[in-house]
Amino acid sequence: MSRSESVRRDDAWSPHDADGDEPTVDVPSDATPHVCEHCGQPFPEERHLVLHRGLEHYGRLDEAEREAFAEAYESEGAEIRRFRLLALGALVLLYFGFLFMYAVFA
Amino acid sequence: MTGRHRRRPPTADSDRPSRRRLGRGLRRVGLALLLTSALLALARPALAHGGALRGASRDSLAVPTWLFLSTGGGVVGASFLLASFVTDRGFVRAVHDWGGLLPDPGRAVRLVARLLSVVVLAVTVAVGFVGPDTAYRNLAVLVVWVLWWGGYVASTYLVANTWPTLNPWRTLAEPLPSLDRDYPDGWGAWPSVAALLLLIWVEVTAPVADAPSLLAAVIVGYTVATLAGTTVFGVDTWFERVDPIARVFRYYGRVAPFRRTDDGVEFRLPGMALSETRLVTDRSEVAFVVALLWVTTYDGFVGTPLWAGADGNPGIAGVLVGAGVPAVLLYLLVFLVGYAGFLVAYFGAAELARRFGDTYLTRDYLARRFAPSLLAIAAGYQLAHNLATVLTLSPTVLSVAAAPLSPPQNPPLLAGLPAWFGGLELTAVLVGHLVAVWVAHATAFDVFPSRMQAVRSQYGVTLVMVLYTMTSLWIVSQPYAEPPFLGGLYGV
Repeated sequence: MSRSESVRRDDAWSPHDADGDEPTVDVPSDATPHVCEHCGQPFPEERHLVLHRGLEHYGRLDEAEREAFAEAYESEGAEIRRFRLLALGALVLLYFGFLFMYAVFA
Repeated sequence: MTGRHRRRPPTADSDRPSRRRLGRGLRRVGLALLLTSALLALARPALAHGGALRGASRDSLAVPTWLFLSTGGGVVGASFLLASFVTDRGFVRAVHDWGGLLPDPGRAVRLVARLLSVVVLAVTVAVGFVGPDTAYRNLAVLVVWVLWWGGYVASTYLVANTWPTLNPWRTLAEPLPSLDRDYPDGWGAWPSVAALLLLIWVEVTAPVADAPSLLAAVIVGYTVATLAGTTVFGVDTWFERVDPIARVFRYYGRVAPFRRTDDGVEFRLPGMALSETRLVTDRSEVAFVVALLWVTTYDGFVGTPLWAGADGNPGIAGVLVGAGVPAVLLYLLVFLVGYAGFLVAYFGAAELARRFGDTYLTRDYLARRFAPSLLAIAAGYQLAHNLATVLTLSPTVLSVAAAPLSPPQNPPLLAGLPAWFGGLELTAVLVGHLVAVWVAHATAFDVFPSRMQAVRSQYGVTLVMVLYTMTSLWIVSQPYAEPPFLGGLYGV
């Protein structure tokens, strides 16, 4: 993971950690990674790369790439809403599970 | 209005923490807190009863132990679920970045503080050797275990890490000449892992809290080793990389809200600096963080009836020593095997993060990134472990310090702590865990581009935290039993 010395602060892996720990990656030999052209980090899926570009290198993107980022970010929303429903269900189960257990055992 | 309003996703350079976003996020957190307190309200009867730390006997638990433990685990699991509702990157970042600068306290104050700390060290060692033999009448024992390990350590994670200034060994080492040998990079933090394990081993197995002269001898040994190390490698290298105590305080200091920087004193929300990457940068430093958690657990475990035995029941130690296993070997074996177990569990959790997170990032990188979140847990547990001792013995410290060489026969103690105090200690354990869950959440958001990746990556870490909570709560709820077979271990 080599980065040029003249790296701008917002192009670091994370804006807070320009001089922090660099990620190490391990790509399986049979994989075809999607590699970020700005910093070289590989991703297993293209949408991860699109999101990564938008989050870490927004200033360097062209209009189409920004559009793609906005779309990828938006489409994640559906998945997150589904997860929240499940998480809410789990919380309700946990709450009433403990309620009944306390009613019976305590 | 044309078309649907599309919120622009937060990016590195568009990302000023806006008040609107903070407000919306805070409402969400408010809801989360409400739900958590509902869970806690359920848990409270158990906590209040189980909470008389190490004092209460087992039957004073109004609920079965398994239910009490799973409630603790449940609270941590639920807090992960609640944290996963916060998927606004901008809000997560705003919480972690909130803060500002205060003016620096000034050089004169620092100089006085440094000199005072050296005086305290000298007095401690001297009184340890020549003072009374009774532990609770000897100022050395009280300074080390009550003021320093109980009170001062708490200040490093509750207020700020002031050790780089106060560290008396640094003040002693700085005027000495140094060979400035290069520290081998390959050693990493391994020497400080080994030194931490050694210090805690001595603390648990030797009567350093009961025999003042032994304590003073240990301090002298540590002083000699430290000054030798600083002479060879240089003061800064030694305290940055090798010295285990400086490292513990540096790590705890990341939990604290204040931090000294070149520009002045920086303040942030407690624990929020833990999501940065500069703290834990290789495998040996992960091992150090894990060791910090393990040593507290070990210290507690050897004092449980399961290990030490009670009421005619021999306990694990009794059975194995009875079967002919030498006590030293047994204690050492459990110490090392348990630590290895903790390492395996933690790196296993990082491997799970790699699988669930669907990423090419290595297991070691993920282990490094999530390790600092464990420090909040360590701090919470440290506080729960020592708070009662510090408060109960604080009048003792004052009266013994007034006349270290001829202290009163029976120095005063705080008569007793109110019943709700046990609940306060368990709250410290739980708050530590909740901060840790949040920090892991924020770290995952920093590491992964996709927010669902971030949430999934925490499954393993959350599982490990739930198990650790249940283990610590179990230890805390057990009555204290004197660890057996240690008396004659060193012929002291």
